[in-house]
Amino acid sequence: MKLTLAQQHLRYALVGILMGFALSHIGFTSYSELHKMFLFQDLRMLFTFAGAVMVAAIFFNFLMAGMPSSKKPMHPGIIPGSLIFGAGWAISGSCPSIALVQLGEGQLAAVFTAFGILFGAWLYRQVHRRFFRWDTGSCG
Amino acid sequence: MEYWSWWKGALALGALSVIFVLMIGRMLGVSGSWANIINWRDDRKRQQTADAFQANAPVMQNALLAATLAEFGEQKTQQMLAAQGMSMPAQTAARAPALTGINWTAHLTFLAAMVLGGFLAAISSGHFELRLDLGATHTRLFGEEWREWLVLLASGTLVGFGTQMGGGCTSGHGLSGVPRLSPSSLIATAMFFASAVATSFFVEGLIK
Repeated sequence: MKLTLAQQHLRYALVGILMGFALSHIGFTSYSELHKMFLFQDLRMLFTFAGAVMVAAIFFNFLMAGMPSSKKPMHPGIIPGSLIFGAGWAISGSCPSIALVQLGEGQLAAVFTAFGILFGAWLYRQVHRRFFRWDTGSCG
Repeated sequence: MEYWSWWKGALALGALSVIFVLMIGRMLGVSGSWANIINWRDDRKRQQTADAFQANAPVMQNALLAATLAEFGEQKTQQMLAAQGMSMPAQTAARAPALTGINWTAHLTFLAAMVLGGFLAAISSGHFELRLDLGATHTRLFGEEWREWLVLLASGTLVGFGTQMGGGCTSGHGLSGVPRLSPSSLIATAMFFASAVATSFFVEGLIK
């Protein structure tokens, strides 16, 4: 799919707004809801996530042709990277999209999370260049 | 605050992962958008390379051909070309590689749009409120003001570092890779969920 620059901005804006709206209404932006999910005290959002995976799986595997390649190679960073991310998610209450949605809701402390994410991503790039050579196949 | 029921949320979130593919033509992945913004200079480098190629196409093609011949020899090169139904190129003009990537500024728009989406959800449901903490649970566990903000800066750094190292996040691995049963995504998603659960129990244990 070849998109002009204007199309790119328009489409990303539309999906971004829908995504922020949905994540807020689901409760992924609420630290207390998230904390209850990780402690298995409230399984609603766990079911939400599992259900979303099922919906996407039905479309991706049975209803859609010509899917883009997933381009997610196996590499040595997957396990340590995901463990680090999980710890950060549990403490900050934020995966990479959530901090921004929280900002929109008026949870201004998330500006620190967002700067942290930016800094962490930058830091990894430096470390990767210096020490690692594997292909992380980062999405996007 | 009344949240969506699990099935309503599941339909919305699953549909978003699908809509993204239909509209953009690639898999959803928010950590990738952060990476594109951090690496914005790469866009310019790719553009400069493409421009240089375009400007000197015949020279570039001859240089590539010479390098290929030097590496594989004439016979092997001809075999490889024949296998793809091509013949040895003469001094023809080469086409520049097409730039199919998404401009980094579109990724910036994506992230900004999520702020707007959160704002619209909060306004329309009447729970928009400017505040400097993340709610009672977070302050109970991590303190208030500077203490809490430093915790957020540090844990946000873990999120940024970890998602780049792991090559994806909840959306890229979880909502895009897992539905397609990509092995790396299945492992990554199991790992970050397990790590988040363990961290949450650990933090609760520390407080008690």
